Amino acid sequence: MSDKYYGEFGGQYVAETLMNTLAELERAFEEAIADPKFWEEYHYYLREYVGRETPLYYAKRLSDKYGTKIYLKREDLNHTGAHKINNVIGQILLAKRMGKTKVIAETGAGQHGVATATGAALFNMACKVYMGEEDIERQHLNVMRMEMLGAEVVSVHSGSNTLKDATNEAIRTWAKEAEDTFYVIGSAVGPHPYPKMVKEFQKCISVEAKRQFMEKEGRLPDVVMACVGGGSNSIGMFADFIDEPSVELIGVEAAGMGIETGKHASAMALGRPGTLHGMRSYLLQDEDGNVQIAHSISAGLDYPGVGPEHAYLRDSGRAQYVSITDDEAMEALAELCKLEGIIPAIESAHALAYAFKRAKTMTPDQAIVLCLSGRGDKDVHTIESYFSGKGYLN
Amino acid sequence: MNRIEERLQQVKERGEKAFITYMTAGLPDMQGCADLVKAQWEAQIDVVELGIPFSDPVADGPVIQASSYKAIKQGVNLRKVFDMVAQLRADGCEVPLVFMMYFNTVTYYGKEAFVDKCIEVGVDGLIIPDLPYEEQKQLQDVLDAKAGAPILIQLVTPVSGDRIPMILEHARGFVYCVSSMGVTGQAADFHRDVIRYLEQVKSVSRIPVMMGFGIRTAADVVPMKHTIDGCIVGSHFINLMEENGYSAEAARAYVETFKREMNDRG
Repeated sequence: MSDKYYGEFGGQYVAETLMNTLAELERAFEEAIADPKFWEEYHYYLREYVGRETPLYYAKRLSDKYGTKIYLKREDLNHTGAHKINNVIGQILLAKRMGKTKVIAETGAGQHGVATATGAALFNMACKVYMGEEDIERQHLNVMRMEMLGAEVVSVHSGSNTLKDATNEAIRTWAKEAEDTFYVIGSAVGPHPYPKMVKEFQKCISVEAKRQFMEKEGRLPDVVMACVGGGSNSIGMFADFIDEPSVELIGVEAAGMGIETGKHASAMALGRPGTLHGMRSYLLQDEDGNVQIAHSISAGLDYPGVGPEHAYLRDSGRAQYVSITDDEAMEALAELCKLEGIIPAIESAHALAYAFKRAKTMTPDQAIVLCLSGRGDKDVHTIESYFSGKGYLN
Repeated sequence: MNRIEERLQQVKERGEKAFITYMTAGLPDMQGCADLVKAQWEAQIDVVELGIPFSDPVADGPVIQASSYKAIKQGVNLRKVFDMVAQLRADGCEVPLVFMMYFNTVTYYGKEAFVDKCIEVGVDGLIIPDLPYEEQKQLQDVLDAKAGAPILIQLVTPVSGDRIPMILEHARGFVYCVSSMGVTGQAADFHRDVIRYLEQVKSVSRIPVMMGFGIRTAADVVPMKHTIDGCIVGSHFINLMEENGYSAEAARAYVETFKREMNDRG
């Protein structure tokens, strides 16, 4: 079926063991999204539980400083602190509909793990979250949160002991336990139908933002941007604007310590097409074709691949992908705190940093809509050690 | 004729069961690995699977993950394994060889160049667990266009169900019957389920049916021996090599014993 692919990207590069499982999932997903009752329930939980819709906030002081209108789509105000919950609600409702009793998830920084544990508690499902041994140490607070929510956090000790290895382990487990287990993937990655599914459940971001912007400005925005790790908030932010050719779409990857240092997470800037986690997409690889370890100060962008639809949007020229270093992101983060009283997630600060650059080429009556994908509460330790190292605080 | 097809035909004509081992390529080092292949060939192994190490072996269990990681740390890569195979062939070792690898390793090398190199050095088969039937055309077309290209070995699992006839329609070499079930519990129920599954595969397969289930000794396959054409030992063989310091003698003894026991017992 051709909708398994986005151009040459996507597909189902999984073991034979999972092929019937994916077919079952695809059937159930297509039935669900054609069923108004499914959407009714999804929107009920988004409204009553997650707290949608989120505001499209006109950041006046930022706009004044940078000389163009900057609007922030406040996904940081969602329950659990980021956009991740939108997708989790959709996938867990689907899991319930399919009669599954257990969910599993992978997590890097822990945000998707916390969102999945939250959804599992809400819908009374058993939950196991796979997390790299190294991330468990780095993200202790989120491990505690998941455990408080009743999830079991499984420490993954293989390969680089981080997100990509946790994802491998979740896939292995799913292959063995698919009969009663639903795998909740947190980003716009994985084998078909996951990238499509994640987009469908994150699309609410752009559907709301488009209407809200129209109400405020009576037109479409000039630029829409979001940060890109695997690409879930960005695909949600782009979704309803893709068919609006006047709207410029920009995805911001993490350049880590600088693209030239090799310590980065910019799959689009320097990766080449490859196969990982069931999909073909841009991928950071070493000279032997092994997957390289990504680096970013933001754990949520620390992924060596990118969702296949983003790879397609890049190659087709519909969206542009740029990258922002750790330093640039942290500076933008500090600025948003001081000018607007909002502590953003470090992930989202990457998009902000590029917005400030892009604004310089824009006029005061033009407008940027930016997805502020999460709040920075989870990052305060990282922020503190970064700024104390730099001597900005103290 | 392809070495795998030729060898399995001979085994069948003798009324015997075939035996295949899996080892991670490049362990304990390139030369040591080549010596292990030769020792097994002398012990009448029918096919050797060489695992090309990959950073993200998502279809492998902990033993092969660990050995794969170890090999990468030692600098093993596809290019070196090709060199090793070329040397084995130059030394007159005609063992049927299968590369077990992930699709990224193939595309990174380049599909055309990869197939050409396989033909040049003498690789007889490929097992690519993350390239399911529906994604195979892109590689199969390249293989079909070149004389002497390796066979893309097909895998089926207990949950493949109605996919089995489709998967096996054009399959060559042998069918690799895998399962995520462990073999450790030797309960009668387990045997009944496995035999039912293997019989289903056997009923539609025109080519040898090989079972790989986390088997350790020939005794493990006795209950389903009449349904299959042979078996594959992976993780246990790697453990055995680790425990015996990758001794060629240990490899030789294991293969000889396994083959004898599998073919002796009623």
